Amino acid sequence: MLFENTKCECGHQNPVGTVLCEYCGMPLIEEIKTDPASPLEMRYDGMARRSQKSNPNLVDRIWRFFSSVRVAVWLIVLTLIGAALGTIYPQESTFINLKTSEEFRNYYKQEYGTMGEIYHALGLSRVYESWWFVGLLVMIGTSLVICSLDRVLPLYRALSKQQVRKHLQFITRQQVVYQGPEPQDRMAWLDKFEQALKKKRYRVWRDGDALMAEKNRFSRWGPYINHIGLIIFLLAILGRGVPAWNMDQYITLYDGETQQIPNTHYYVKNEKFTVEYYSDEELPQSLKGTVRPKLFNTRAILYECTANCDDPSKEPVLVEVKKHDIRMNQPLTYKGLSLYQFDYNDKPKLLSVSPVLVDKTTGEKYGPIHLSIRDPALTYEAGPYTLTLKDKFMDFGGFDSEGRPMSKSREPNAPAFIFIIKGPDLPENGETYIYFPNQIDKVRFGQDILNKALVDKLELRVEGMENVSIAENASTLNVRMDRAMPFVWTGAGIFLFGVVIGLYWNHRRIWLRFDDGVLSLGAHTNKNHYGLKTELAVMMNKSGIEVTVERLDNRRKTV
Amino acid sequence: MKVNRKLLQYIVLAAVLIVGGYAIGQSLYHPSPVIAKGSSIPDFKLVALDGSVHDSAAYAGKPMIINFWGTFCPPCREEMPALQSIYEEYGDQVTMIGINLSEDKVTVSNFVQQVGVTFPILFDRNRMTEKKFGLRQYPTTFFVRPDGKVMEMLFGLPLKEEQIRSRVEALLATS
Repeated sequence: MLFENTKCECGHQNPVGTVLCEYCGMPLIEEIKTDPASPLEMRYDGMARRSQKSNPNLVDRIWRFFSSVRVAVWLIVLTLIGAALGTIYPQESTFINLKTSEEFRNYYKQEYGTMGEIYHALGLSRVYESWWFVGLLVMIGTSLVICSLDRVLPLYRALSKQQVRKHLQFITRQQVVYQGPEPQDRMAWLDKFEQALKKKRYRVWRDGDALMAEKNRFSRWGPYINHIGLIIFLLAILGRGVPAWNMDQYITLYDGETQQIPNTHYYVKNEKFTVEYYSDEELPQSLKGTVRPKLFNTRAILYECTANCDDPSKEPVLVEVKKHDIRMNQPLTYKGLSLYQFDYNDKPKLLSVSPVLVDKTTGEKYGPIHLSIRDPALTYEAGPYTLTLKDKFMDFGGFDSEGRPMSKSREPNAPAFIFIIKGPDLPENGETYIYFPNQIDKVRFGQDILNKALVDKLELRVEGMENVSIAENASTLNVRMDRAMPFVWTGAGIFLFGVVIGLYWNHRRIWLRFDDGVLSLGAHTNKNHYGLKTELAVMMNKSGIEVTVERLDNRRKTV
Repeated sequence: MKVNRKLLQYIVLAAVLIVGGYAIGQSLYHPSPVIAKGSSIPDFKLVALDGSVHDSAAYAGKPMIINFWGTFCPPCREEMPALQSIYEEYGDQVTMIGINLSEDKVTVSNFVQQVGVTFPILFDRNRMTEKKFGLRQYPTTFFVRPDGKVMEMLFGLPLKEEQIRSRVEALLATS
């Protein structure tokens, strides 16, 4: 490597890679020096970037790689391509009933043919969770941090210790330049010009007969602020991978049912689910006569468990924390937890019956007894009779390989209760009585034939529908938690703030000096040269120097 | 200044390594939603038929057989005597538990009495444990190594005594 002399003629020692002297602004790089007519490269005020360093070691090389904007652009392009590929077919995460890789492979094959199979085999069905996609996001984040640091620190340094008196070449090689004979009274003109500048909200510094004015420096921080926002955004997205930060599960609750939300201390109760349909008058002509749901509503209560939460032998102590009607787009939300309406089923389910025991000979009624279908008590008192529950079937009608009666399923499709009844005029060991709460099952399984010993004496009978408790509907709720969302929004907010600062304000600076009766004025802005030229022309005209906007344009000379 | 600059570089790169490493690591290791051979069994804490509370943490260090069953499932009913006789034979070397599929006490205790089951039968509630284990068929029997990792799982068909015995022997051989 050639030895690079970075000492400026003003005596300032600059770091390697400096374009314009940190002190006086004189061009330091040969190729800029040799063409004195061309405008100066003013990026980062000519400061050396962090990564520009002689004898880089491994860490420096990594740093330099990530500090490159070209690399950043490539990373973004690759990420966009990856993200786009993930949208060709639905992602695996959108299916709730498929679990294993094999099930997914079969699904993609069945649904999308060979293309689907290839898609799944390439792992494109889970792009956003893949190591390479996450890796790209991590690299973009790294690039954001390093690119920013690499530029913002030198820029900050340059802008916070600016020299008022700049090198003549620095001034005459700006993109907005004026050179002309000096006004009659140099100092009086400077005072006047300073007034004009201040009116336009410039801050003005003077050093003898040199002047510097500046405004809206903060807009230079816009891009870096928006990068901070993006970094927070990215970190939040990566944070969603932390299991405790993210939850997505489904709970089905019958009317009146309470269930624990798995892996939390919360319980949710569905008090009542209702579904409303559009009436025919409300529907357009083409849809008349069809069933169109208008509203799904789950009256839900959220409880927090305060005691006995981990002891399955005790009933948990629940405290109500929120009550809410869950509807489409109106989830129940509590401390980051959201419960959305997801699905329903309108197959009614028998919850309990309260039959009376009828003495068929006298017509006398005893009871009623309360019989819960899912969790019945073991003994019941009905007048002089005692009923002991001996066995119970949820879905009566099956027999196992040894011929024993069994439930066909665990759903209460055809509940059957087998009691031993003891009491007056009954054998000492009691008499067996089979009870089917559903009328249809009584007939189907022949309750009276099964109970032939008691059929003329006793009967369990439900009197009126008020003694039957039925859950009409089951509501399926989607329970979600996304603790990363507040950070995503914060990041997005900071990003927008940075964008606004950077876009709607321009950093403008003006330098001037006198040399041998010549006034040299240069001005620089990071955006909108036209605005700067117009503003400068107005201010100069006010101070007594007639100048047109066109004359201030230094760029045309280089075209 | 020089030292600060170096320090900043190292801090930033270290942060990238930690955060990025964690994120990429997470994406590589996605726990299987269903329990397979070699995966650890989930924790559970359930009430047994006798009212005692069983915590899975207490089972560590001993090979274990976990049988999920229900009275409504014919093969479950069929294999129960085989499980019981293996329990009688190996009960002091192997932990055997049956987890009932969220049925009620009357139903369960009747069947247990009929068959004469003496190993602990635990009640699942609201299918929570069953879901944690990612059960897809009944019965499902997990043969678990002393370190809590699944050696093998069998499901669907009723187990024969010989089938269970050979697995128990394998479990005992590795421990």
